[in-house]
Amino acid sequence: MKARILEHGDVLKIVDLLREQGHEVFAPFAGRGRDTWFDLVTDENRGRVQVHLPNPYYPPKRFVLPHIERLMKVRKSNGDIQIEPTYRDRKRAIFGIRSCDVAGIWHLDRFYLGRDFRDLYYEKRRKNLFLVNVVCTDPERDIGEECFCPCADTGPAARENFDLQVMDLGDEFMVVAGSPAGEAFFANPMFKQATEAHVEKRRAILGEVRKRFKTTTSWFPATVRYVSQGTILDKTWEEIGSRCLECGGCTYVCPACTCFTVSDRQIGPGEIERVRIWDACALSGFTRMAGGHNPRRAVHDRRNRRFFRKLAHYFIQRELSMACVGCGRCAAVCHGDIGMPSVVEMIRRATAENDKLQPV
Amino acid sequence: MSCVAHNSASAAAVATENIYLPKLVVLDRVTDDIPEVRTFYWHFEDATEQAKFKHFRPGQFAQVSLFGIGEFPASLPPSPTEEETFFTIRQVGSCTAALHQLKPGEKFAVRGPYGNGFRMEDYYGKNLVFVAGGIGLIPLRSCIVYALKHRDKYQRIQIYYGSKTPRELMYLPNLREWQQSSGIECYLTVDRSADSWSGNVGVVGSLFKQPGVQVPVENTTAFVCGPPVMFRFVIKDLLAMGFREGDIVSTLERYMKCGVGKCGHCCIGVAYVCVDGPVFTYEQIKKLGEDI
Repeated sequence: MKARILEHGDVLKIVDLLREQGHEVFAPFAGRGRDTWFDLVTDENRGRVQVHLPNPYYPPKRFVLPHIERLMKVRKSNGDIQIEPTYRDRKRAIFGIRSCDVAGIWHLDRFYLGRDFRDLYYEKRRKNLFLVNVVCTDPERDIGEECFCPCADTGPAARENFDLQVMDLGDEFMVVAGSPAGEAFFANPMFKQATEAHVEKRRAILGEVRKRFKTTTSWFPATVRYVSQGTILDKTWEEIGSRCLECGGCTYVCPACTCFTVSDRQIGPGEIERVRIWDACALSGFTRMAGGHNPRRAVHDRRNRRFFRKLAHYFIQRELSMACVGCGRCAAVCHGDIGMPSVVEMIRRATAENDKLQPV
Repeated sequence: MSCVAHNSASAAAVATENIYLPKLVVLDRVTDDIPEVRTFYWHFEDATEQAKFKHFRPGQFAQVSLFGIGEFPASLPPSPTEEETFFTIRQVGSCTAALHQLKPGEKFAVRGPYGNGFRMEDYYGKNLVFVAGGIGLIPLRSCIVYALKHRDKYQRIQIYYGSKTPRELMYLPNLREWQQSSGIECYLTVDRSADSWSGNVGVVGSLFKQPGVQVPVENTTAFVCGPPVMFRFVIKDLLAMGFREGDIVSTLERYMKCGVGKCGHCCIGVAYVCVDGPVFTYEQIKKLGEDI
């Protein structure tokens, strides 16, 4: 991949260029305290776009899979029915998407565009989305308490699936092109020639940054193995389930969760819209059938489901991508402290306790 | 344009078909089957859609849309060898209730067919044993009609069917026809008898022990569909008779929104019931990693 150098003051010019090309650009903004969010860049707020800030809890997943998305409009009149699918394919760009979230979108790509059925709504949004990845290099501002992307092998620097990648080298930024569309930006003279010394500096910084993560789950691969083999005891799942408040927050903030429900609603006289809405396997209604039968009634079965879906080797192989990207959001929002790192730790502990040693 | 992932070989291909878009159908007529269960005969407004749809396999299902209420998955009881397309639906939730309100001539929408279905050609040269309880006969009806249409391809064909009461026996005209047909052995039972009933009383499994009944085990596939309790007991009976787990097939049902492996509701362990199923062998069901 080709890399160039950009002066510190020029980094937001990428946002300007994207806007000039006709993209709606979304970028992270900071509020009070830890509060950050992705918002539409306008002439008014453009100066407040930040490169170094904590990753927003509300993931950028919504730009390819909106929280609530209209699938079709249906008009009924005099017994006749007209169905009109509603698509949205405006050019959009995300400036400042973190490596974990790039991996999240990659996972969604594998899921929604893979296998026998392709999701047209997803595809239309995705192919119009330009991604400018920002590498987390500031241990204070970028890396959260719960981040564990090095364990999920998604960061701190994404290796692919972005259009442009921006990394702070201290005095200047290094910009990497990950697609032909990204590389086209290098025609602009503000992108300067990079040298071997820059590449070396990037490598050195990444080596240092990797050591600054506060959450580490070296047991991640082992957990994948145990979940896949089904060797985790029911009582461990029950312990995990007993801490679940069934709020669905983990799913809400997860950049790799894919499940949705579909609902029809009246929007006018004789007019109905069919929407899809994010859904969560933590909620008891997720598997409840008409008539009331619910095959996954117990909380711990539903928690088991979440981690099985994310970690079982079968699913990793099915999508060639894992449904956990190490962003740490679930750990940050979970009231019962059963985000991914904690669950990995609980499984590690339970497995260690299973070693039945007989002192002689 | 940015980088978009492609699982399929054709990297440049752009999906043109909207997998969530149902097509309009017209309700032709409605027949009452048993209390709360009716059969809805329908056809696509667009004749080409009808022709496309008719390639379904026994055991597949379709998504039925009642706009303003929602969408639900429904088994396809007709055999592809039959002329008419229809659903047999029990009124159990809001969507099915709305369907039960529809009058002939009115429209709703359908998409599909979905799911793996039964690969009837895999059973050529074998005995077929159908074991159904209650409305579990609905998805199996398609296989039975198909098998009888291709009667020479199969060895013995047996049906063991039970319901709670004689009034709740599904597809009574079909059952009568099957009972009288020489190419098929059809045994019926009810849990609770009524005065008019002269047949067997007891659970479906009790039919296996009736005098004169002989279930072929060698070179046989058993199709089992019914409520969970019946399923458990019948499986036990069949295994005791010597059936191999891979020779027992069933069709599962789950809460579903999309029918195409995206919404995530129908997952059982490693399987999406909508695309990997709904037809599974008992051997596969045991390996799903979650209770059915």
